[in-house]
Amino acid sequence: MARFLINRLLQSAVLLFGVSIVGFALMHLAPGGPLAIYTLNPTVTAQDIERIKVLFGLDQPVYVQYFKWAGGLVSGNWGYSFFGGQQVREIVLDRLPATFLLMGTSLALALVIGVAIGTLAAVRRNSVFDYATAIGAMIALSLPTFWFGLLAIFFFAQTLGWFPAGGMVSIGDGSLLDRLHHLVLPVVVLALVLVAQWSRYTRSSMIDILDQDFVRTARAKGISPSRVLVNHGLRAALVPLVALAGLQLPLLVGGALVTETVFSWPGMGLLFISVLSTRDYPVLMAILMVGAVVVVLGNLLADIVVALVDPRVKLHDE
Amino acid sequence: MSDVADDMPAASLNRRDLLRTGSLLGLTLPFAGALTGLGAPQAAAAAGQLVIGVTQEAVNFNPLLYVNTGVETSVEYIVFDALWKFDPAGKLIANLAAEIPSAENGGISADGLTWTIKLRPDVKWHDGKPFTSADVVFTLDVLRDPKVVVRSRNGHDHAESYEAVDDHTVRVKLKESYAPYVVSWQKTSIIPKHILSGIDINTAPFNTSPIGTGPFKFKSRVAGSHIEFEPNPDYHGGAPKLTTLVQKYVPDQQTLYAQFQTGEVDIYELQGIPPLLYAKAKALPNCKVEPSASPFVEFIYFNCGKPQFQDKRVRKAIYMAIDKKGWIDAVYYGVPIPTLSYLPPNHWAYNSKLVDPGFDPAKAAALLDEAGWKAGDDGVRAKDGVRLSFTMSTTAGNKAREQAQQLVQQNLKKVGVEMTIKNMPASVVWGDYTVRSEFDTLMVGWDTLLYPDPDYGDRIVSTAIPAKGGSGSNYVQYQNPEIDELSAKGAKTVGQEERKAIYDRIQEILLDEMPFAPIFAYQTIVGVRDRVGGFVLNPYTPINTWNPADWTTS
Repeated sequence: MARFLINRLLQSAVLLFGVSIVGFALMHLAPGGPLAIYTLNPTVTAQDIERIKVLFGLDQPVYVQYFKWAGGLVSGNWGYSFFGGQQVREIVLDRLPATFLLMGTSLALALVIGVAIGTLAAVRRNSVFDYATAIGAMIALSLPTFWFGLLAIFFFAQTLGWFPAGGMVSIGDGSLLDRLHHLVLPVVVLALVLVAQWSRYTRSSMIDILDQDFVRTARAKGISPSRVLVNHGLRAALVPLVALAGLQLPLLVGGALVTETVFSWPGMGLLFISVLSTRDYPVLMAILMVGAVVVVLGNLLADIVVALVDPRVKLHDE
Repeated sequence: MSDVADDMPAASLNRRDLLRTGSLLGLTLPFAGALTGLGAPQAAAAAGQLVIGVTQEAVNFNPLLYVNTGVETSVEYIVFDALWKFDPAGKLIANLAAEIPSAENGGISADGLTWTIKLRPDVKWHDGKPFTSADVVFTLDVLRDPKVVVRSRNGHDHAESYEAVDDHTVRVKLKESYAPYVVSWQKTSIIPKHILSGIDINTAPFNTSPIGTGPFKFKSRVAGSHIEFEPNPDYHGGAPKLTTLVQKYVPDQQTLYAQFQTGEVDIYELQGIPPLLYAKAKALPNCKVEPSASPFVEFIYFNCGKPQFQDKRVRKAIYMAIDKKGWIDAVYYGVPIPTLSYLPPNHWAYNSKLVDPGFDPAKAAALLDEAGWKAGDDGVRAKDGVRLSFTMSTTAGNKAREQAQQLVQQNLKKVGVEMTIKNMPASVVWGDYTVRSEFDTLMVGWDTLLYPDPDYGDRIVSTAIPAKGGSGSNYVQYQNPEIDELSAKGAKTVGQEERKAIYDRIQEILLDEMPFAPIFAYQTIVGVRDRVGGFVLNPYTPINTWNPADWTTS
């Protein structure tokens, strides 16, 4: 186990190094850059832009810029934003709690509801419930999130006035109830898609298991049907879903680009959208790296958990 | 399998449990909402609290450094002061200065080169330290410091020297007469020396938690959400009447409109209400929705360096072939004002004698024939092997401009001109593609360098072409010795009557030569809820946050 972990961590480090090089190169290869936003300001002249380019170090060769940035990162300095000069680490870490709250709630909710729906649909295969949830899931998966979000705002905020039209807290409030109130609409919109995914995965995984010999044996032994379903069926069916959970873990940190924008949710997704449009290189790279680290860790975690819950899987000391 | 499951009573109990759990979760959440009722709108409408809604996020509050015109300018006006400002009639009113320098009060020397500016002695920074001439001199030092990422020098590079005469007097000597200088000062907010001196200004904490002299103090910011300001009771212009002022960031336009409708947002300005929603917005109860004059003019920028656009007749023919009125009506619901110059028609220097060449496809076709551009087999005109075909670029995703481009494309097709739409993200199209004049044509909105001063030299004189090594913003690569001479003269001349004559001539030449095609002057559709008092539109500032100290709520 220890050797496995060390091996995987070493591999991850190499992988992250590669990601940083590719990410940095792509960012600089793409046409345009952070200075374009200055051009739109009429009081800024072309020589002002030239001057600022030198101050940002953008006149230097890309590899020099990369080593400066990477050297900083290794020593714990994530650099400074081009726009405002704030520490990048501060900018990025500031957004984590909001995204964590939104995505955590949505994922937890989706997990509970999705697994429940999926299990029932598998048990009652080809029933009205099964078909209804299948159609529901297909609709939810094909709805564009922004459209569903706008619709939710139109009905529940603009027309009925039940919920605020976006934001995380009311200004000057911030009580728990107020936060929950703001959380409802974006969570429902996000959870809808996640529930659809989870219910479909659970259903197919469950159907596989319920057809297996050991389930039949358990039934033949006279164990109560509910115990068979939960102790034998669900427990085994959830193993592949653990891997899925591991893959969805990065969402907790990466956030939701569209939903956060529509609902003005001050999380990572919204930050990414805004720095992408201004090409704030240091912040963009930080988000990329944080994202890459979480993806790598999520996969590692999923492998370990699967090995723990599934006796058939062994961790190899490659 | 399903029949087995159907026979399991416990499983159906389980299903019921599951359903109950699910519906509980599903039902309690909206119920929680119903419990709190309209909590959010009520909180936003708290007495004395006023919320400005914006669709871009302000991130840098150092008035010399930020780039984003609009949201950050709004913060600048709330927290900082310049020496003087424009009132809605275009008259200068003293702010940090005790009076506006003039020849009469001895503030400006007879040759116009020496400015002696008297400052108010009673102004304090938000941390209680007195404001003095040292701060003004420090601000000028920072503007000229090559190590600081200053956005623009605002014309202060025309100063030869400057000094603090005493604690409340500053003297500046100009290299030569420079008429827009008074606007340079109006655009320069003063920053505190005692906080910024001796540290790296580019990464100073001040940039995110600023200290100014303005009507409101910067209280707190939640990144990605909002900024809160509290009144400055010692404000030299009188204590503000509000208890809290908030700038709220709502990235999606539709969501911001929804929040304006529900009362979560009191003032919807800057980018303004989309023209598409104008009619609907006007019908909203308890709101005042009206267009506000903007200094920005929408253009088609021709790259005169490209072979298609070297003959002014081609540029003029294109102007005549485009249905400008149809563009304004169909795309912008008739809100913008047509203009024939780089100035909005209500500007004092606007040449009202300009003759509109009109929308006349027949005349446009004749003009192209006369210039030697004959239709080829494919229906597109060509001359000497050059096809009259070009691309038009602007920010991708700007719906209104995309519609306008299609309209222009159809208009031009009718006179045998081929236009291809080539839009790119803002970070691409306004980068080297614009600055190095790599484009064919651009669809773009700009105002003058130091609006409301009519000086436009930076964009039209031949020494200002970056693609040819010049310094300036002449991206169309236009060259004309007469314009060079008139622009230089216009910037030097101080008397408004004399200047008017010069700029009348410049506008006349530009309309005839058409290096860029002026289409209309923007109007921002500003929405203000009725509970807001003291909000007055001001066409002389880029935004309407010019008098927040006078704002009230009921």
